[in-house]
Amino acid sequence: MKRPDVKPSPLRGTPVTARVGMALGIAIVVCFATGLISHFIQHPQPWFYWPTRPVWLYRVTQGLHVISGIAAIPLLVVKLWSVWPKLFERPIFGGLVRQLERASILVLVASMLFQLSTGLLNTAQWYPFGFFFTTSHYAMAYVAFGAVLVHVAVKLPVIRRALGEPLDDVAAVGPVGPSRRTVLWGTGAAVGLATVVTAGQTIPWLRKASVLAPRSGEGPQGVPINRSAAQARVLRTARAPDYRLTVTNGDVTRAFSVDDLMAMPQTSHELPIACVEGWSVSARWTGIVLADLLASVGGSPNSDVRMISLEPPGPYSRTTLPARHARDSQTLIALKLNGEVLDVDHGYPCRLIAPSRPGVLQTKWLARIEVVPS
Amino acid sequence: MTAVTGLRISRGLLGAAGIAAGLYGGWLLWANPLEVIIRIAVWAGVGVIVHDFVFAPLCAVIGVAGRRVIRGRWWTPVSVAGLFTVVLLLLAVPVYTRPGANPTNPTVVDRNYPLGLTIALAIVWACVPVAYLVGRLLPVREDQVVEQESAEHVDGQPPAL
Repeated sequence: MKRPDVKPSPLRGTPVTARVGMALGIAIVVCFATGLISHFIQHPQPWFYWPTRPVWLYRVTQGLHVISGIAAIPLLVVKLWSVWPKLFERPIFGGLVRQLERASILVLVASMLFQLSTGLLNTAQWYPFGFFFTTSHYAMAYVAFGAVLVHVAVKLPVIRRALGEPLDDVAAVGPVGPSRRTVLWGTGAAVGLATVVTAGQTIPWLRKASVLAPRSGEGPQGVPINRSAAQARVLRTARAPDYRLTVTNGDVTRAFSVDDLMAMPQTSHELPIACVEGWSVSARWTGIVLADLLASVGGSPNSDVRMISLEPPGPYSRTTLPARHARDSQTLIALKLNGEVLDVDHGYPCRLIAPSRPGVLQTKWLARIEVVPS
Repeated sequence: MTAVTGLRISRGLLGAAGIAAGLYGGWLLWANPLEVIIRIAVWAGVGVIVHDFVFAPLCAVIGVAGRRVIRGRWWTPVSVAGLFTVVLLLLAVPVYTRPGANPTNPTVVDRNYPLGLTIALAIVWACVPVAYLVGRLLPVREDQVVEQESAEHVDGQPPAL
């Protein structure tokens, strides 16, 4: 039987694949590295050091994580377009080496699609997949990154040859219509478009253009919310008249009412709140310097501090603040946000706000602050 | 050390690091209950099937059909606009119908996404005739002509004086 007279586009092929692949590789490295940073801030290891300055450092790394992940989407679309006909190349199965190669590419494509799809859905807080997002996204990141490394190792000679050759193999492309150069320009522009329509959730001047961003950047007191007081089931306890913030260091315990806290010396700082899901805004926070509060119970500046929320026990109801952040002069127990008493969804009566930390660790609705014995 | 051994060593190191990272990721995934592992595998597998046997063939069919209908200089801006459309549609998936919306938290998926997507698509497609006209009106540069010629392309000699 004669095969249909439809040739694959001459634009597909290694010259395009290698170049788009290189851009995709850069996006993956940035995404993987910034993802690991976020993971190790949330799951501290003795060897991992995370500074408190600049205060916007986490805002930048996590913003980059989501921006590079979204940039990878058009790159992956074009990369897969450029190699798709290879899927049907004969022999379909072939020998052991060919089967191994095909299996490695299956792992690569499956893990990449997994990472980009789950990550994108997480930015919009949509979880239709029935497994826990953070742990699976973290584990699969190693599979995807490993598969990329193996793929580069296998293809290195092909990549070198393709990059060494001129881009436009003239004979292949007709006199009219897109050249391979156009494909690359178009892909670059598609990456730009994907960034513009989403990155406004972390880059304020892009807000108006980011028509597909999961966050407009608006919210009560000018700041979006990740978890509302109703979701955390603290609406009643946060507003209870007998509310007290308990601060303890071993046997020393002090309890503060909201009025007590308001009567203490207040300090204001401009600090960003940067969510793991990729949105961030800068805001003016006013409250008590945490170090002063800890000094009132004789806490050592070298001790970690545990923050316990009014929220019933759950993954985010208590966090540990490393000593470096706990003794920082900009770390506040905030009572006010942008000049107003904290909205209950922002953590009324008081919340932690520390420089260069993920939003999920800026514990809201604080009930108890414990100096961890060092 | 020759360039060839250098290449061989870097390939070996990359490959070994890749296999180690992949195994570590697999080991982390393996810690899940079987039911969860199956869900993860299904999600990853369905992604590949949807791409390879639904999305890619659909794009190819649209591309081949489009190429027959849309001729000449129109094809370049139309195909680039097609790529932009695909990217916008993919990014709209998790927000368009606001499936992650939460009644107690109006700050999540809080934009008018149907309107935003419509405007973005309108701008993209409005650029197509503009790009076409720019492509027609701009003088074709000599290097572009040369780039588009094949090796066998030989022009006539200038007339002998």
